[in-house]
Amino acid sequence: MVTQAPSRTQTRSNPVISSIQQFWQKRGGDIIPPVIGIATFLTLWQLISWSGITRLPGPLSLWTDTRTRELMLYPFYDLGGLNKGLFWQTLASLGRVAQGYTAAAVVGISVGVFVGTNPWFNKATYPIFQFLRMVAPLAWVPIALVALQQNQPAAIFVIFITAVWPILINTIEGVQQIPEDYNNVAKVLQLSRKDYYLNILFPSALPYIFTGLRIAIGLAWLAIIAAEIVMSGIVGIGFFIWDAYQQNYISEIILAVFYIGLVGLLLDRLIAFLQMKIAPTRN
Amino acid sequence: MSLLVAADQVDKIFPLADGGEYIALKGIDLTIKTGEFVSFIGHSGCGKSTLLNMIAGLTLPSSGVITLEGKQIKEPGPDRMVVFQNYSLLPWRTVRENIALAVNSVYGDQPKGDRRGIVEEHINLVGLQHAADKMPGQLSGGMKQRVAIARALAIRPKVLLLDEPFGALDALTRGNLQTQLMRICDENNVTAVMVTHDVDEAVLLSDRIVMMTNGPGAEIGSILDVDIPRPRQRMEVVEHPSYYSLRSEIIYFLNQQKRIKKMRARKTVAVARHGLEKVNLEIGFVPLTACAPVAIAKEKGFFTKHGLDEVNLVRETSWRGIVDGIAGGYLDAAQMPSGMPLWFSLGGHKNQNIPVVTALTMTRNGNAITLSRRFYDQGIHSLESFKEMLHATPDTQHRMGMVHPSSMHNLLLRYWLASGGIDPDLDLALQTIPPAQMVVDLKADTIDGFCVGEPWNLRAAMDESGFTIATDREIYDGHPGKVLGLREDWASAYPNTHVALTKALLDACRYCADPDNEEEIRQILSQRPYLGTPMEYIHLGNPNSKVCELNQPMREYAHHLFFGNGANRPSRTEHLWHMTQLARWGDVPFPRNWLEILERIVRVDVYSTAARELGLLDAKFTRGSIHLFDGTDFDAEDPIGYLNSLAIKRDITIADVLLDRPAVTVAA
Repeated sequence: MVTQAPSRTQTRSNPVISSIQQFWQKRGGDIIPPVIGIATFLTLWQLISWSGITRLPGPLSLWTDTRTRELMLYPFYDLGGLNKGLFWQTLASLGRVAQGYTAAAVVGISVGVFVGTNPWFNKATYPIFQFLRMVAPLAWVPIALVALQQNQPAAIFVIFITAVWPILINTIEGVQQIPEDYNNVAKVLQLSRKDYYLNILFPSALPYIFTGLRIAIGLAWLAIIAAEIVMSGIVGIGFFIWDAYQQNYISEIILAVFYIGLVGLLLDRLIAFLQMKIAPTRN
Repeated sequence: MSLLVAADQVDKIFPLADGGEYIALKGIDLTIKTGEFVSFIGHSGCGKSTLLNMIAGLTLPSSGVITLEGKQIKEPGPDRMVVFQNYSLLPWRTVRENIALAVNSVYGDQPKGDRRGIVEEHINLVGLQHAADKMPGQLSGGMKQRVAIARALAIRPKVLLLDEPFGALDALTRGNLQTQLMRICDENNVTAVMVTHDVDEAVLLSDRIVMMTNGPGAEIGSILDVDIPRPRQRMEVVEHPSYYSLRSEIIYFLNQQKRIKKMRARKTVAVARHGLEKVNLEIGFVPLTACAPVAIAKEKGFFTKHGLDEVNLVRETSWRGIVDGIAGGYLDAAQMPSGMPLWFSLGGHKNQNIPVVTALTMTRNGNAITLSRRFYDQGIHSLESFKEMLHATPDTQHRMGMVHPSSMHNLLLRYWLASGGIDPDLDLALQTIPPAQMVVDLKADTIDGFCVGEPWNLRAAMDESGFTIATDREIYDGHPGKVLGLREDWASAYPNTHVALTKALLDACRYCADPDNEEEIRQILSQRPYLGTPMEYIHLGNPNSKVCELNQPMREYAHHLFFGNGANRPSRTEHLWHMTQLARWGDVPFPRNWLEILERIVRVDVYSTAARELGLLDAKFTRGSIHLFDGTDFDAEDPIGYLNSLAIKRDITIADVLLDRPAVTVAA
């Protein structure tokens, strides 16, 4: 496909423009509709906010409002206390997610493997797990605060308790779904426990585990925002929103929401990328 | 070859979800020797994979033990490596890594270099060098199975277990893999057990084929020895004389299993009517000219006339089918070779004494011995010259066909051969072949001749593939051919039906004997439900055709005798002769209590009642002693002395044969 290009480029125009043209011909159809969609959405929003139907500022206010313009231009400023740029706010939230999520992954996978390989324990714990997983992240906040007394560990606990269920349940499922043939191979070869875990159990359950991890990262990110809104006085994008709301800086909220969406998307893509690298889909 | 695997009275019972249990396997006894290739064949759900899994140790018997080298199998182990139907390769490991996992696990104590060597050796063994670093997902089904075989062989199992290894492959790939597997097994002296659905695969690969009956409670139906020499080539195996008989044996077995399943599903309630205990009868027959009385009784309404208005004729292509039907109780009665009631009663069938009685001799004569046409062209026209030819070619295995060990054909053929100084077991090999298969085998040169009922001798002569060297009239004129046989317990349960059945068939015999009816009978017999062969081959009397043109002294068409002159009355003397001949060839022991046995088996009382009720009072009572072509007269005075006087015979056992009394006794 690409090999046709050089003959044309030499006679007509320079190679950069030509390759852009080619790219446009190939991918234009994929790019134009979302661009139009986003532009229409923003325009409608702006029109509605101009019309005065709602107090919500339009997207242009992100630039026209000085506070948000400065927040956008200087994400790295740090004036101490809670007065930090959005990068630091986001990073603080991400740090909590990293801790809670890592704990959730470790606990979820190891308990999942244990329960998945022990039918008795599976039966014993099934109702508890199913019950606990239905509890909303926000409902854990007061419990966590009462139990742990401090904001920081409580926030991490909420992330952990939100993220652990999908990982745990998918791991159990993945272990139980190991094809009988693989188990038979392991039995006939009398594989050692270590060999069995490394060569049969984990590779076979990995797709399920990753499904759990991907659901969990989304939930963890949702949970941290909710948790931070409730736990006042900590650095983090969630509390940043709450703070802005209290002080009636509506444009700041919109900017923070944009950050949250972007980070959530990136986190999901990151796990998807890891899954592709570690456990590619097989036929 | 030493004993490797042994199963002793193994049962396997699975609990069911509703609290009941399913008996999958029952009383399995099996031994497998080192270096043997054994196949399990049977219908789906017959438990053959379960048996394989029990050898593997993946499931354990509910009772009984399976041993490997004398040690009880309690868990899976690498000495019994399995090749699974769906390959079971780990998709996240390359071909090499898959094999290495097995090798490293089993040979963990050996140096790394040695282990790598084993892996490479086995990749080469199945010719997958080019694919060693590919993932299983990139391989075709055949290649995957080769990897699985390589993985299995790499750990040097004592026995290789293959669970329908080629079931999911296309025919071409399957053929290639079978050839490769055979080569590998031959070269490495592998002991293998394979589960398969494929009859040809089983014959090609196996030393023994274990045929399993249908579940529930599946058992080993029988075990076939495959006597085709190794190394085998696919094309040569097909041409081996045993190939088609083995193949047809397995197919017969599988079909029989299917029919038994169907018969089990059908209701078998006795319908009583017209003062008879059971009018819904299943009567077995084999399509031969001699089946005329059975066919006529059905077509001309003799069954209905005597009150049996729900008779169903069951066409069997071989006597095996009749044997299984009577032994399994699926047939109420059957047309039988004259020796079969005794053969059943004396334990000919699987060493079980199944008392089978006869009250009617339906036909006499109608058999002949045919030799391949090429012997005729070589000038072999007599028993004497046949013997000379046999003794002149000791290196050639000569084979002759007969239809069943208990049939008159077998006994006549053996008698004829032995009286000419030919030992029918040492100088020749006699093979059991279904009647309709005889001419085909003769044309294919897989047999040199046969003894069978008409129309097959005539057909061979008319096709010029064979010639009739002797007819039964020359050997033993008026011998009983086919009789009515049924189980003694059946006869006790349905005494009036027994008489009615005898009457109906006796009536039909009379009809068959009338020359005016001959055209009609030939026409009926030629139809599909019966012989399904052109009328020109079917003759009741003398056809005056090619058989007689062979200008030989011994030449007379094997007339069938259906009626008259005491033909239908069962004769104890004749059955005693059968008894001596069956014992002579080692099929059954000679009963010391032979008089008692004869009185129970030969039901002259039923015949007499039937004949009297039909008004046939003039039937001659006795047929006298038996005259045979070699000049001997057989009388019933001293059978044991007679047996001792015979020159050619097998080791004869003389024993008391105790028959069970039927559970239901006749009301006084």
